[in-house]
Amino acid sequence: MNNQFYSLKRVNKLGLQSLLLTLFLFAMPSFAITDILEFKSPEQEQLYRELTAELRCPKCQNQNIADSNAVVAVDMRHKTLQLVEQGMDKAQVIDYMKTRYGDFVHYQPPFRFSTIWLWLLPILLVIALAVVMLKKQRQQTITQNADDAELQAMIDAVRKKQP
Amino acid sequence: MRKLQFFIPLALFLGLAVFLFSGLFSNPRDHGSALVTQPMPQFSLPNLTEPSRLMTNADLKGKVYLLNVWGTWCATCNAELGFLTTLRQQGIEIIGLYYVQPPEAAFGERFDMTALQQEVSRKLAEQGDPYQFNMVDEKRSLIFDLGVTGAPETFLVDASGIIRHHLVGDINEQNWPALHTQYQALLAPAPAANSTAATDAKNNAGGQGE
Repeated sequence: MNNQFYSLKRVNKLGLQSLLLTLFLFAMPSFAITDILEFKSPEQEQLYRELTAELRCPKCQNQNIADSNAVVAVDMRHKTLQLVEQGMDKAQVIDYMKTRYGDFVHYQPPFRFSTIWLWLLPILLVIALAVVMLKKQRQQTITQNADDAELQAMIDAVRKKQP
Repeated sequence: MRKLQFFIPLALFLGLAVFLFSGLFSNPRDHGSALVTQPMPQFSLPNLTEPSRLMTNADLKGKVYLLNVWGTWCATCNAELGFLTTLRQQGIEIIGLYYVQPPEAAFGERFDMTALQQEVSRKLAEQGDPYQFNMVDEKRSLIFDLGVTGAPETFLVDASGIIRHHLVGDINEQNWPALHTQYQALLAPAPAANSTAATDAKNNAGGQGE
């Protein structure tokens, strides 16, 4: 009995130890991934920040490369830094990534015949709604006027009977 | 006219329903490849078994081949090795592009070619070796230029070095027949299409004989 109790305690202790160990193991890489970058100029830093926020991690479902620690996102960040240091401008870096990872890699979709609906559809929707509303309003004023005329006729009829 | 108007909401609803329903079956990971119809990027990478030997585009000139991006760390790639080996036995040319994961510097890990060679040869002895040779992309430079997002991925490249297909995920019995047809079509180009066709045909004949 006593022995059993002892072994249970031992297991618990072991469990706690392994839990702690696991926690430490998970904590370690988070130090490793915080890379400290040095930029030649504040403009380059600004450009790097913009680019890593706008470029999309091709491995992840919806994360920019600044946010993701997928291997491909880390590689893309390094490449972005390298290209920015080489003096490429924003459009050039985005083009560089697009020739490798496709249009998917930039959050701003390209303006093309197949993508034109992205801009056209909201405009069409607003126009359609405006047309529907205008039509409805006009119909309402007509019925309102009709009601008024009908009412007046009834009043007149009653008045004719009264005296 | 009024009756027609009555059906507008229904039509809109049906349209939306069809659009959303088809979305249920689309693959969110399939976002095309920018590399198909593009030439193979320039590279110069060490041969895995003989790292002093740098493999370049010239080594693959005039060949139709599959470039398989893989790593021993990738479970799907390991599962794929057996199937790819049967393809090699059928005479399909498969070149391996080894995806080296970045070493965890915080753990004192460093890239070690000898250890990698041992690991790969052990794995290939176990699962089958589908590769004519393997190239080691330590910095993932060619992998980056190819727009690879993970492993396994496979490229079908034709004799003039143009990428014809980019497959994300493993090659298996389901998707191989279509890729095989495309591979065969590249092996037998239309005769006298241009001046390079003759040399291509010669190289391809050699490939088929294997």
